[in-house]
Amino acid sequence: MLTLGAKTSIPVSRRGAIQIGASAILGMSWDRLLAQAPTGSAKSVIFLWLWGGPSQLDTFDPKPNAPSEFRSPFANIPTKIPGVHFTELFPMLAHRSDHFSLLRSMHTQSNDHGVAGTIGLTGSIAGAVGLDGKPRPGQARPTLGSTVAKVRRMQGGLPSFLVVGGKLHQGKKPIIGENSGFLGASCDPFRLEFDEEKGTRVNALDLGQGLTPERLDDRQRLAGALDDIERKLQKGASPWTEQMQQAYALLLRPESRKMFDLGQETPAMRDRYGRTRFGQSCLLARRLVEKKVPFVQVNWSDHVEAEEDAGDGGWDHHYRNFQIMVDRHGPWLDRSISTLLDDLRDRGLLESTLVVAVGEFGRTPKINEKAGRDHWEHCYCALVAGGGIKPGRVIGTSDARAERPAERPLTPADLGATIHQALGITSEQSQSFGLATGGEVIGELF
Amino acid sequence: MVAFCLAWSLAQVVMPQTGQEEKARQITSDGSFKSHLSWSPDGKKLLFTRIHKGKMELCSVDQLQGSKVEPLVQPPPNTPHFDGSWSLDGKQIAYVHDILQGTDGKLQINIVNADGTQPKVVIPHKAFEESPRFTPDGQKLLWVSTRDGNQEIYSFEITSAKVTRLTQNPGFDNNPNIRRDGQRVVFSSSRYGNFEILSMNMDGSDTKRLTNHGSLDIWPSFSPDGGKIAFTSNRTGNYNIFVMDENGGNLAQITNNRGVNNFAAWNPSGEEIAYISNKNGAYEIYIHSLRK
Repeated sequence: MLTLGAKTSIPVSRRGAIQIGASAILGMSWDRLLAQAPTGSAKSVIFLWLWGGPSQLDTFDPKPNAPSEFRSPFANIPTKIPGVHFTELFPMLAHRSDHFSLLRSMHTQSNDHGVAGTIGLTGSIAGAVGLDGKPRPGQARPTLGSTVAKVRRMQGGLPSFLVVGGKLHQGKKPIIGENSGFLGASCDPFRLEFDEEKGTRVNALDLGQGLTPERLDDRQRLAGALDDIERKLQKGASPWTEQMQQAYALLLRPESRKMFDLGQETPAMRDRYGRTRFGQSCLLARRLVEKKVPFVQVNWSDHVEAEEDAGDGGWDHHYRNFQIMVDRHGPWLDRSISTLLDDLRDRGLLESTLVVAVGEFGRTPKINEKAGRDHWEHCYCALVAGGGIKPGRVIGTSDARAERPAERPLTPADLGATIHQALGITSEQSQSFGLATGGEVIGELF
Repeated sequence: MVAFCLAWSLAQVVMPQTGQEEKARQITSDGSFKSHLSWSPDGKKLLFTRIHKGKMELCSVDQLQGSKVEPLVQPPPNTPHFDGSWSLDGKQIAYVHDILQGTDGKLQINIVNADGTQPKVVIPHKAFEESPRFTPDGQKLLWVSTRDGNQEIYSFEITSAKVTRLTQNPGFDNNPNIRRDGQRVVFSSSRYGNFEILSMNMDGSDTKRLTNHGSLDIWPSFSPDGGKIAFTSNRTGNYNIFVMDENGGNLAQITNNRGVNNFAAWNPSGEEIAYISNKNGAYEIYIHSLRK
């Protein structure tokens, strides 16, 4: 069974795929694979997608003077930014607050995961489908990573846009806005996943063929495997797509396989990121931007729900919010992002890598009757670091209960425009590709 | 004080290092996230919650080093179940069972034989029911419920199904743990603005505040003789295990590493404390000896 991020109908022959693997890929340096790209302060983006919607009050915008039914039960701690506090669950990030900036006045247009997810990933509500099943007017826009992939092409089959994580879901409903839309399949995300038992999985190669990267070492075996695929295709299976071509080309390169292999890291480094799926995915993202991949998206989870709701650890905490924050999400997020920032800085990559951490919305300031918080689109936070943006700043403020922006309201479209700006993608370029989101660059970050 | 704690913590919260606690021995090594630790009354087994291959389930492990982790409930349910605790006679385990309706979890309290057989519902889902704890005589369960619009601690008579509310205030009251003589309950509460450790009589009277610190104090656990309470605190910046007298005095820090150390559980002799820590990377069970 093919499990591609998105299917295309571009047929590629077995011979063609092998030729690409043999001649166009092998032996070339990674630097030479880079196409001419726009120049900006950032060369790469790591987009950390906190699916399900973290609470603004329990993370980076505590309101200790709010009434008890609103304020977080967690103490607040000072950061390195005078007057700015986080909750006590984030001591490592508080200590590194001079390395990133914080947006405290994000807001969006829907409290439906599906709709807000589309907005968060594309900057637009167009084409979004919520739980009501009704598509919002307009064609879904390309996801942010695809827009970057359109402008910052990498040659030779290496995708410009990789997602570490599975397809996003709200319950059983997939989310609109994860793919390239009208930009075409060449800008679709190439998916990897961290699996606690198997390490990095390349989903596009889940072919049911018993193929492994090790088996692809052998050209004859590869040819045989591709023959098998072609035979299946003749029986009406899915076409041999451009993305599969990319996948095989990638796996033909020993360097590629090393890039995906977290076993190349020391155990101590893997420990530093945290032995969680998100932590190891962040480490994988660092390895990818080290090889100059322009856009890496890391999904915290595939589902919005936590394990208690049959999910896989998302941030949608309608109940048990405070236990989950204490036991899992707080320490995990604190460690993984802190280590990612440290690691990028130590390798001289932070200045050229924009790191963004954000969910699709926030959570209700008023605590519900189930010891949880519900969906809240009116106010939430985003963390932005590296890539040449000014650190140690708080842009925008929320009101006394973190219910609404008090100053400088910001939208996902603004964040998207800011990411483009950091990468040097001009508004003219965006418009020429039909990518303009209508957002405004958050100028205070530059 | 908060500023002092953070300043102290800033030097500490770099990264975990190995081998800092010579007295702690590692019990598990499967790499999966673990929580909610409980030691069997005979001292042979440790019960805990594990998230493994996407499933949240109760597991047990022999306390001997390197033993295999086994799912508790047989046959293993397809739905999440967690936070188990033993009856004092060691014959039963109470735990949280999650009934999934679509993508919504509905928590109820179940009891199962200690060998994992014959699970049955004892407290049906009315609100979000969790943290069940047997009284020493096995006649009641204390547990946490949101049935009155906030996390409060209740008692449940198993034979009559009589429910008594023990705590009443706007804060969260959770993590109950019963002293072995059945006279006192220790628990955590956010009623003072952040989570602190409190104790009360079994009928909810005579509440005493045991910690008073601008940091997180959670998961208290009485020692077998009732004289000590182990708990988790992030007063050092990261989560560490502490022990104090039952009146809150004589505070001693048990773990001293840069990881997350949580869910302290005493062995029946009171000579060892098991806890879950990611000090070496993954969340594993460790046993710390208090013997000199």
